[in-house]
Amino acid sequence: MLLATYDLWAFVSENWRELLDGLINTLKVSMVAIAGSFVIGLVLGAARAHRVPVVSQFTAVYVEIVRNTPILVQIFLIFFALPQAGIRLNAFTVAWLSVMLWGGAFNSENFRAGFEAVPHRYREAGYALGFSPRATFFNVTLPIGGRISLPSSINTYISVLKNTSLVYVIGYEELTTTAINIAALSLETLEALTVLGLVYLTLVWSLSAGIRKLETKLALPERH
Amino acid sequence: MSRRSLLLRLTLALLPLLALYVFAAYVVEWPEWAEPIARYVFTVGLPATLRVSAIAVVGATLLGIVLGTLLTIKWRPSRLVIRLYVEIFRGLPILVTVFIVYFGLPAISTSLKFDPLAATAIALVLWGSAQVAEATRGAVQSIPREQHEAAAALGFGWVGAHGFVILPQALRRLLPPLVGLLVNIIQNSTLAAAIGGVELLQAAKSQSERLTFFPPAGIGEIHAFEIFAGLMVIFFLISFPLTRLAAFLEKRLV
Repeated sequence: MLLATYDLWAFVSENWRELLDGLINTLKVSMVAIAGSFVIGLVLGAARAHRVPVVSQFTAVYVEIVRNTPILVQIFLIFFALPQAGIRLNAFTVAWLSVMLWGGAFNSENFRAGFEAVPHRYREAGYALGFSPRATFFNVTLPIGGRISLPSSINTYISVLKNTSLVYVIGYEELTTTAINIAALSLETLEALTVLGLVYLTLVWSLSAGIRKLETKLALPERH
Repeated sequence: MSRRSLLLRLTLALLPLLALYVFAAYVVEWPEWAEPIARYVFTVGLPATLRVSAIAVVGATLLGIVLGTLLTIKWRPSRLVIRLYVEIFRGLPILVTVFIVYFGLPAISTSLKFDPLAATAIALVLWGSAQVAEATRGAVQSIPREQHEAAAALGFGWVGAHGFVILPQALRRLLPPLVGLLVNIIQNSTLAAAIGGVELLQAAKSQSERLTFFPPAGIGEIHAFEIFAGLMVIFFLISFPLTRLAAFLEKRLV
């Protein structure tokens, strides 16, 4: 019965340094993975929406593989199987790489949907004004389609943040691993889980509140 | 789409599977170490994954539909409590929910001690029911008001109206997200591996570790790539038809 000795404040004041380090590592992995999945999503999403040969077929296969296999198996494959091919990555690299590849697949679908939602006549108007295809993409399709796909892509970033907890299985010292390790040593399981849950909920809830704000701010005047 | 062309499509969809089976069974030369591992993964891992997934998806669906329907009642306290439940379990990483069930509950009371697979199933029910509740709320609210009025005119109370009139219609719209939930639950049942529950992933991992030992336990070789890539193929073969089905239902039913 650990409930009788439950003391959240003592737990936090004793372990805040390790927990903070864990949180910083979580944010570090998330930031790298989110930036990477943004780039992957943008490039591959654009390639798919514009049916760039080879790249768009490759993207389709990549997206289906990532979406139809558990991310934990992907992490294991990268962490345990790549060394077999002579590629040795440290836990941090595996952490952001695996979560980034996962987020990139989902994000390329988000961006594809956004770019495809841009009415054809807008692009034609761009061509009529003498824009090159590339200039039309950067000046017409990207600003409009990017806004359309913004809410769903931010949802993907939130999932990326949550999925960084999975690198617990490879022992990378992010927030979840840190909290569970402290709990295993100090037996203050409930306090550790409370801190863990509260930190994640704060991060996720504030991010989703941020989306709703951004959504109203970036909403296209034409769409309601 | 006519019935015949649907049948044709199903047959066509089965052809690659058949080809894969023939390829795997007769063309590929399997190394000696593969057979016992495949047997272990399929006889121990796969049933556990399917059992956890089945329990989780049934529990999540039932609990989620009830919570989601109750969420449409405009009584503030009940709405607040259910909304909090939904937001908490949608907001937490599922792994953290698994830890809360597996490590947290026994710390509160020793009678709440579960084995890893059961804990995973419970965590997936908590997470999945939050997803389903949110989807159900949307589906129930999308049923036009006239249906509520018609049910009231027929003499149904709240329970009767929802059980016989509203929910059967809402369920149609709920079907695609429920198939999507099934896919997610099957994939997330691998989280049991983080707490030592032997399902597909843990079975594959323990076998891949065993191979690295010296004989007689293992063969002193690393075959992690083959094993985990094979596991990916298994999951893909389960998930891909289901995601196609979800997309198909989405197009047809909504």
